[in-house]
Amino acid sequence: MLRRILLPSILLILGYGFWVSPDFKEIAAGVSIFLFGMLFLEEGFKAFTGGVLEKLLQKTTDKTWKSLLFGVISTSIMQSSSLVSVITISFISAGLVTLVGGIGIIFGANIGTTTGAWLVAAFGLKVKISAYAMPMLVFGIVLSFQKSKYLKGIGSVLAGLGFLFLGIHYMKEGFEAFKGSFDLASLAVAGYPGLFLFAGIGAAATVVMQSSHATLVLILTALAAGQITYENGLALAIGANVGTTITAIIGALSANVQGKRLAGAHLIFNLVTGVIAIAFISQFVWAVDVISNSVGIAKDNYTMKLAVFHTLFNLTGVIVMVPLIQRLADYLYKVLPEKSKDLAEPLYLNEAVVEFPETVLKSLKKEVWHLFDSAFELMAHGINLHRTEILESPDLEKTIDEDREIHEFDLDELYESKVKILYGAIIEFISHAQENMPSIYAEEMFRLRKASSEIVECVKHVKHLRKNATRYMLSDNEHIRVEYNRLRYQISLVLREIYRLRNEDDYDHALAMLEIDELKAEIKLEHKQLDVRITEVLRDDRITPMMATSLLNDFNYVDETSRNLLDTAQALLVSHSDLVAEAAREVVLDEDEIDEASAA
Amino acid sequence: MKFSRLIGKAEKIVDSHAQGHPVKSAKLSKLQRLLGEKIARYQEKLDATEDPQKREKLQTRLKVVNAQLKKSRKLSTR
Repeated sequence: MLRRILLPSILLILGYGFWVSPDFKEIAAGVSIFLFGMLFLEEGFKAFTGGVLEKLLQKTTDKTWKSLLFGVISTSIMQSSSLVSVITISFISAGLVTLVGGIGIIFGANIGTTTGAWLVAAFGLKVKISAYAMPMLVFGIVLSFQKSKYLKGIGSVLAGLGFLFLGIHYMKEGFEAFKGSFDLASLAVAGYPGLFLFAGIGAAATVVMQSSHATLVLILTALAAGQITYENGLALAIGANVGTTITAIIGALSANVQGKRLAGAHLIFNLVTGVIAIAFISQFVWAVDVISNSVGIAKDNYTMKLAVFHTLFNLTGVIVMVPLIQRLADYLYKVLPEKSKDLAEPLYLNEAVVEFPETVLKSLKKEVWHLFDSAFELMAHGINLHRTEILESPDLEKTIDEDREIHEFDLDELYESKVKILYGAIIEFISHAQENMPSIYAEEMFRLRKASSEIVECVKHVKHLRKNATRYMLSDNEHIRVEYNRLRYQISLVLREIYRLRNEDDYDHALAMLEIDELKAEIKLEHKQLDVRITEVLRDDRITPMMATSLLNDFNYVDETSRNLLDTAQALLVSHSDLVAEAAREVVLDEDEIDEASAA
Repeated sequence: MKFSRLIGKAEKIVDSHAQGHPVKSAKLSKLQRLLGEKIARYQEKLDATEDPQKREKLQTRLKVVNAQLKKSRKLSTR
C-alpha cells in the first residue's frame, strides 16, 4: 500500500515545489543532472574494464599507501574531494577498485583537498572546474557516438563529468537564494556548544554551496570582518569537511551496494576526524601556533593558520583511521549487506567486457563461483543443514548426527529463483562472448560452461535425495538413520573441502586441484564400504529391502553430486594463465587411475 | 661447429621455448618436489595412526599422490 502511494506522493511534492519555488526547481534539476552524470560515468568506466585503466587502477590501489597517494594527487589536481569520491564510487561500482582501495583513495582525497585551503590562503583563488562542463559535454557526446569501444568509453566519462559539473552548478545556483540567510555574527557562542554549532553551520553551508572551498572563502571573509572568533572559524572548517561528503552520498544513490559502502566510509571518516578535531581543539590550536611560528607565519595571519589547521586535522584523521581501514570495510560489509535477492542476479557478467577475452574468462569464473555459492545454500538446506554448520562446525560428523531440524522450504521455487536464472545468464553470456573469443580460449570456455551445468545437476540430485534423507534422518531405525547421516556428511564434507581449497593462495591452487583426486578416491572407497555394510545389515534384517534400495539409489545421487562438485572445483581452481596449475592439470588422475588408487 | 648446425641448434632452442617445454618442465619439477613433501607428511601421519579407518583413508591418499608423482615424472621425461 505504502509503495503504491510513494511514487505519486513524491511526484506531487516535486510538482508543488516546482510551482512555488523556481530555486527548488533548479536544485532538483541539479540533483537529477548530477545523478545522470553518475550513470554516464559508470558506463564509461565499464568500457575500460580489462584494459589499461583496470591494470593502472589495480596497480595504483593494491596497497593502502598507493591508494592514499592516488587520492592525494588526484584531488590536488582536480581540486575537489567530492568529485574524486564520486569518481571512486563509479570505479567501485564498475568493479575496478576494491572497497579497501576505494577507502584509501577517499582518505588520500581528504589530504589532497587541503591543498585547496593553501591555494585559497596563498592566492585567494579557486580553480573553477565547472567552467569545463560545456566543452566536456560536447566532446563527450561526439565521442560516445563513435564505433570504437574505447572512444565510446572516453566519451561517456567526459559526458559524465560534464553532467556532474553542470548538476553541481545548478544546485549551487538554486541554493544562491539561501546564501544571504547565513548571518554568522548573530550566532557566535563561546565554548564547546559554539564549536558544535559552528561545525554544524559549516557542514550545512557546504551542503548548500556544494563546495568546501566556497565555505572556506566564507570563513575567511567572516574572520577578516571579525564576525567570528578564530576558534569558531576552525569549527566551521571542520564542519565544511563533514558537509563535503553529501556529494558522495548523492552519488552513491545511483551506485550499487559497494558504492554505498564507500560513501558510508567517507561519511564515517569525516565525522570521526571532525569529532577528534573538536575534542582536541586546544591541542590543535597549540600545534598550529607552533608550526606557524616555526615556518614564519604571522600570528594574526588567520588565513594561513586556517590552512595549517585544515592540513593538520585531516592528516591526524588519516593517521588514526589508516590502521582501521580493514575493520571499517568489514563493518560496512556488515551494515550494508548484499541484498539476498541479488544472489539470483549475475554479479560479474557485463556485456561491456565481451571484447576482452581475459576479462571475459575472469568474470565468467567469478560468476560460476557465484552460481556455486547459490547452489551451496540450496544443497545445504536440501540436506537440512545450515551453510554455517557445514563451513564452521568443528566436528561436522557430530553436528550432522545431532541436528535433526527439518528445513521447511520450497526447493523448486528456490531453484528457479536462485540457480536457474543465474545459470541461464551464464549460458547466454558465454554464447555472446564466444563470437569474439580467439580459439585458444575455447577449451577454457567449454570447461566453465560444463562446470555450470554440473552445478545445476548437483542441485537436482540433492532435490531427489531430500525426500528420503528427511524421512530417514528422523527414523527410529538407527542403522538407516546412520547411513543417511553418512550421505549428508559426504555432501557437506565435499562442499566444505572445496571452500577450504578455494581459499588457498595462488600457487597452492595447483596442489588443491591435485588434492581433489584424493577426495575422489576416498569417495570410491566409501562406496565400496557402503556395499559391504548394506549386505551385512540386510542379511541381519536390520533394515528392510525397501530401505536398502532407497539407500543405494540415494547413494548414487550423492556419489554423482560429489564427483560433479569436485570436477567443477578442479575446473574453477585453475587459471589457464597459471603455468603451475596448467602443469598440474596434466597430472590430474583420470577415472581408471583413481579406481586403481582406491582399490584395496 | 658449422654455421648451419649452429643455426639449427638455435632454432631448436627457440622452438622448444615457443612450445613452453622448459617452462612446463620447471613447473613440473616444482610440483614433484611438493608432491614428494606431501608423501612424506602422509607417511608420517600413517606411522602415527592406529585407527584402521583412518589408516585406510591415509593409504588411499598416499596411493593417489604416488600415482600423481609417477605421472608427473613420466610427463617431464617426454
